[in-house]
Amino acid sequence: MKKRILLLVLALAMVASAAALTACKKDEGDTADAVSSIRDRGVLNVGVKSDVPNFGLLNTETNEYVGMEIDLAKKLALEIFGDETKVKFTPVTAATRGPLLDTGDIDMVIATFTIKPERLESWNFSTPYYTDHVGILVKTDAGYKSLADLDGKSIGVAQAATSRDAIQAAADELGITVSFQEFASYPEIKAALDSKRVDAFSVDKSILSGYLDASVEILPDDFSPQDYGIATKLTNKELAAWVDDLVTTWLDDGTFAAWRANYPGI
Amino acid sequence: MNRSTSPFAWWRFVKLFKDWRVFLDALLVTVGVALAALALAVAIGAVLGIISTSRRKPLRAVTRVYVEFFQNIPLVIIAFFMFNALPYAGIMLSTATIGILGVGFYHGAYVAEVVRAGIESIPKGQFEAAHSQGFSYFSTMIHVVLPQTLTIILPPLTNQAVNLVKNTSVLAMISGGDLMYRTNSWAADKASYAPALVVSGALYFLLCFPLATAARAYEKRIIRAGLVTAATEEKIIAVTDSE
Repeated sequence: MKKRILLLVLALAMVASAAALTACKKDEGDTADAVSSIRDRGVLNVGVKSDVPNFGLLNTETNEYVGMEIDLAKKLALEIFGDETKVKFTPVTAATRGPLLDTGDIDMVIATFTIKPERLESWNFSTPYYTDHVGILVKTDAGYKSLADLDGKSIGVAQAATSRDAIQAAADELGITVSFQEFASYPEIKAALDSKRVDAFSVDKSILSGYLDASVEILPDDFSPQDYGIATKLTNKELAAWVDDLVTTWLDDGTFAAWRANYPGI
Repeated sequence: MNRSTSPFAWWRFVKLFKDWRVFLDALLVTVGVALAALALAVAIGAVLGIISTSRRKPLRAVTRVYVEFFQNIPLVIIAFFMFNALPYAGIMLSTATIGILGVGFYHGAYVAEVVRAGIESIPKGQFEAAHSQGFSYFSTMIHVVLPQTLTIILPPLTNQAVNLVKNTSVLAMISGGDLMYRTNSWAADKASYAPALVVSGALYFLLCFPLATAARAYEKRIIRAGLVTAATEEKIIAVTDSE
């Protein structure tokens, strides 16, 4: 019996160290020219949202992605290949975007990914291409007029969303208490709001606008600004610099403004 | 910044250890829900398992329907249904209650199968012998059959308990505050998923491994003592294979 446990512990230790080793190795040997390695591969792999109207939404009828972030990804593919169709979209969530970047399965994440200090320790972020505010969506018949009315109520937020911190700070200022329930995706929060599991749904306003229907409304309150950036693997500084360069150029020359005009919701 | 950028970097683990309370609280939720769900599953399983060996067909049919229903629907759907559909009927259960009821109902079906197979493995001759000694059906069950059944179903029951502990992680999908939920939440919040998953995996392992090991040891012992044959034991465990 003792022998078996010992063997098991040994096996576990081996698995753990193997994982650690592969993780370390990857750190050292990134390619010299990040963009040309993508060009050689023939396709740009981008992690996007599949459930956020106006930013990244998978149209289930045509099986095509649409949104401002999709246009941005296509434009990047156009820069690399001279062909905007050479981009492969992978839908990401809060739980998958980090691992997918770290393993190299995707080259970048363009998915309403808010820049914050904690995340800069793990990934590179470009200059923000969009700034949004956290908002609150409630059932119209509940009669809430502002955050102050939500004392003692439960608020549905997305996992990893910065909206939680923003609302908590605002609630502290108002001297009210609110509780949070986290969900993996926005449609799940909307379902919880509809079934009255949560009293409010809080995330960035532009994302909320995609969930408006006859029974809900967005409160007028604005909470801390959220800057969206394009995230790349931390060790791949070259790709990050190349991406950042293009983002700043397109911010200056009105490319982003033109895209936004295509999506009246944002 | 010269420190490692690896997802497994030590500084990320240090960050997690500073938040140990989050993981401890979550572990307690998981343990609490698992214990209550186990009690419910055993209660349901014992009643339905005994009924399913009854000679009355309608009674057997009722247990069959229950068992087939819960063995053939994913636990996730049961949890989602209780979380998002029941409120429309005016029933608002807490997530802990959903965990206890959902996991308890679900595993109750498996426990019922284990109990049924255990009773059926007791040789028919014993029922007849008890009957000839003037034992009623009820006292035959209480004094002759069930004590032996309990001995031989303990290993497969323990396996059920192990699966039950792991299955409480369904709560992560309905913001249940259990270990898996806090793991996902912390991982996403701190941008450090690797240590969260490693530590939470280790905690589940610590809960389940002793149970699984004890079940195996006990099984060997009762086989060696001649209380049950290895083939019978195998057969009883096999009734829960659909999992």
